[in-house]
Amino acid sequence: MELNVNGQTRPLPPEAVEPDMPLLWVLRDVLMLTGTKFGCGVAACGACTVHVDGQAVRSCVTPLSAAQGKPVRTIEALGAPGRPHALQQAWIAHQVPQCGYCQSGMLMAAADLLAKNPSPTDADIDAAITNLCRCGTYPRIRDAIKSAAAVLRGDNRQDNGKPDKSVEARA
Amino acid sequence: MNRRGLLLSALAGGGALLVGWSALPPRSRIGTSDPLPAADGIVTLNGWIRIEPDGQVLLAMNRSEMGQGVHTALAMLVADEMDTPLSRVKLVQAVPQSLYGNVAMFVGALPFHPDDTEPGRETATVKAGQWMVSKFARELGVSVTGGSSSIADAWDVLRLAAATARAQLLGAASLQWKLPREELQVHGGIVSHVSGPHAHFGELAKLAAATPIGDVRTKDPKDWTLIGTAAPRTDLAAKVDGTARFGLDTREPGQLYAVVRHCPMLGGSPQRVKVDAAMKLPGVQRVVRLGPYAGSTAAVAVVGRSTWHARRGAQALEIDWAPPPAGAADTKRIDEALERAAREAAQSDGGFAFHTRGDVKQARAGAARQIESLYRAPYLAHAPMEPINCTARVHDGGVELWVPTQVPDMARAIAARVAGVPVEAVTLHVTYLGGGFGRRLDVDFVAQAVRIAIECGGHPVQLVWPREEDIAHDFYRPAGVALMQASLDGKGMVSGLTITAAGDAITPRWIERVLPSLAGPVDTPDKSAAEGLYDLPYGISHQRIAQVATHSGVPVGYWRSVGHSHHAFFSECFIDELAEAAGQDPVAFRLGLLGDMPRHAAVLKLVAAKSSWGRPLPVGQARGVALHESFGSIVAQVMEVSLVDGRPRIHRVVCAADIGTVVNPGIVAQQMESAVIFGLSAALYGRIDIEGGAVKQSNFPDYKVLTLAECPRIETHLVPSARAPGGMGEPGTPPAAPALANALYALTGKRQRALPLIT
Repeated sequence: MELNVNGQTRPLPPEAVEPDMPLLWVLRDVLMLTGTKFGCGVAACGACTVHVDGQAVRSCVTPLSAAQGKPVRTIEALGAPGRPHALQQAWIAHQVPQCGYCQSGMLMAAADLLAKNPSPTDADIDAAITNLCRCGTYPRIRDAIKSAAAVLRGDNRQDNGKPDKSVEARA
Repeated sequence: MNRRGLLLSALAGGGALLVGWSALPPRSRIGTSDPLPAADGIVTLNGWIRIEPDGQVLLAMNRSEMGQGVHTALAMLVADEMDTPLSRVKLVQAVPQSLYGNVAMFVGALPFHPDDTEPGRETATVKAGQWMVSKFARELGVSVTGGSSSIADAWDVLRLAAATARAQLLGAASLQWKLPREELQVHGGIVSHVSGPHAHFGELAKLAAATPIGDVRTKDPKDWTLIGTAAPRTDLAAKVDGTARFGLDTREPGQLYAVVRHCPMLGGSPQRVKVDAAMKLPGVQRVVRLGPYAGSTAAVAVVGRSTWHARRGAQALEIDWAPPPAGAADTKRIDEALERAAREAAQSDGGFAFHTRGDVKQARAGAARQIESLYRAPYLAHAPMEPINCTARVHDGGVELWVPTQVPDMARAIAARVAGVPVEAVTLHVTYLGGGFGRRLDVDFVAQAVRIAIECGGHPVQLVWPREEDIAHDFYRPAGVALMQASLDGKGMVSGLTITAAGDAITPRWIERVLPSLAGPVDTPDKSAAEGLYDLPYGISHQRIAQVATHSGVPVGYWRSVGHSHHAFFSECFIDELAEAAGQDPVAFRLGLLGDMPRHAAVLKLVAAKSSWGRPLPVGQARGVALHESFGSIVAQVMEVSLVDGRPRIHRVVCAADIGTVVNPGIVAQQMESAVIFGLSAALYGRIDIEGGAVKQSNFPDYKVLTLAECPRIETHLVPSARAPGGMGEPGTPPAAPALANALYALTGKRQRALPLIT
């Protein structure tokens, strides 16, 4: 058995996996890709969000069998070394993470949103980002998604998110 | 018991540690230098600061990063004082030594009234109490990240440690270059003289360590270059690309995984365990029974080759559970008992009086009107996003741990007890914490992991609690009730205030769990059981604020902002009721009671100005306000709400605060947003119900938290201050619930006196 993860075909030891094993645990405990997080196990929190075949899925309820033969992308490959994704840059510019535990899932959900909708409205963001965060990073996530969307559109005008205080104070 | 008696009994457990009556100079907390460089060329200048050969500063990090930005903020204190870039300060986990213990948190836990602790105006009792507890905390030397105390505790110590290191480096340069020290400068981590010589710290460190320290002063605030700026956090790059290592990300060679199943009834235990079905499953290796450790409920764990294999095995166990010997907890019964306790104590001047002033009976006798309300709050779970976990390896008489913990010393202590090894044989790696909120001040899961690892033949084993186990087996924020009674004079002014609260005390239970050697035979009054009620800023002449400490049998623990978390809801909603009774605007009414409290008044005025308090809102919207001091910081919030499909919708939260000196306003704003949202989750949805001894909620679908779509805009405004820093991790949480409830009252005319607001 094998899995196509982040552009690589990774063999899966047959004794380590079963077809109904959730993708989350294949990634974390077999392939040691620990950037994808366990939060609830019931698809309620989104900490485990990855892309399968270009779609955001909650990997804690996605059986391995549903991901086999399809490209799987995790947070480890959202950007490339030295070339972070526009969302990752926006996340830092807006100083989004606190504890950081939910942020892999948030970023993967946001990347899925922007791939489908380059100019999301507040309502679009509300509908797409249903992941949970206990530190309360939501307002900054909203702003960072808008900033990254503007960058990805090649939009030079000021995005309509609130200006980032931390960036302002540094200038 | 009078206050002195209380203080002495609170200290009785630690009395043996109070040796010597020497002064407590701050310098004694910076540790000593080691003139001999380590083999790798690293030079130790004091207990906090080491210098690498390339001039980087190594800072001994004694606090856990759980989202609050403490790793960045503490490094900023050092970088500023040493005039080196923040990026050149590297963190190394502090070794277990009393030097790194938390003093400010223990001093902050003393149940003094704020009137008596104002810096420079402390009473003799307060001074003596603070001295004794400082001494005690230094001797005890336990490293704790909690009580919003990290910056307050480090403020003098770290800056002095850094200033001392800087002075020694300057002294070394002066010796080496034969130039007067006053003519040298430090910039960007480089020591230089205008005539040309310059060197980085690494080139001077060895000589610096042998240089006498002399008279060292920390920088004048006008010379700060970093403190007071929104420097970007240093931990975020790793938190956006998946490389940050949380406890659950520990992956050691040969690692196994374990999943726990507790007795569903709190305090119950497994009786008969049929393991056959579980052991037949592929990838399942063994089953381990777990006793009740450090306050936990007894459990069974299954070890497997992955978390999923272990989880499947745990689900396949057939277990007969025995109910708790003390009887099954039931929140309906507990709520009734708490109300009864509060009402009875109010009748009889019972409970422990944390604050008395004037004579409430006299106020009552002369009152034109009495107002009485009963407020309630439920049990709450912490539910940090990273489920409870600990990775342990037990080998050749030693234990190695990887733990997301707020209390590394206590974790080591319990690991040593469970493994039967000396505490020195326990090595502990503190990982990033995927949220703490007080849950990781407990060590039950550490004991469980060690117990399991003992059975795993030297393999590291990662214990994971499924979310359902976390929600159903937490140390909960205690349920609480308070009977609020006020006397109003003929003009509607408040002449007397009696508050009689009831609820379980947390600190005595926590001490029993994590510091059993200090647990006394009798509970001493616990500040956390009354904080946010007995310490109100309002100038009311006659007050009696008392609390009845109950023993409800439900495990209780510290939950972000602790007693303040529900007491601010009680007190600030009741103040709103009194404003209405007086026929006054809620802000104006509070200001009228804050004549002697200029800092509180300034915060309230700032929030009123920034929220355009008094300016009409669109039809269907209303505002509410709350003001509350906790952990040395004063926070006011104004919330704008409406009802959408009959449910509260919060549009905007305006926050103002006086937190003393601000180290990093960017992190302060982040923590305010964090604390507001945490408070709103609890205010709207948070409740833990227990029936037949078992918690009814189990996971996020039935233990709801605020979502992004429900999240309001939040803005933070700070009152400039030169005072020493207060806390910021928690003080934003208490005002959230009352500001929201007061706004909903303004909108609907219906006063809600119980949490959560959505039932």
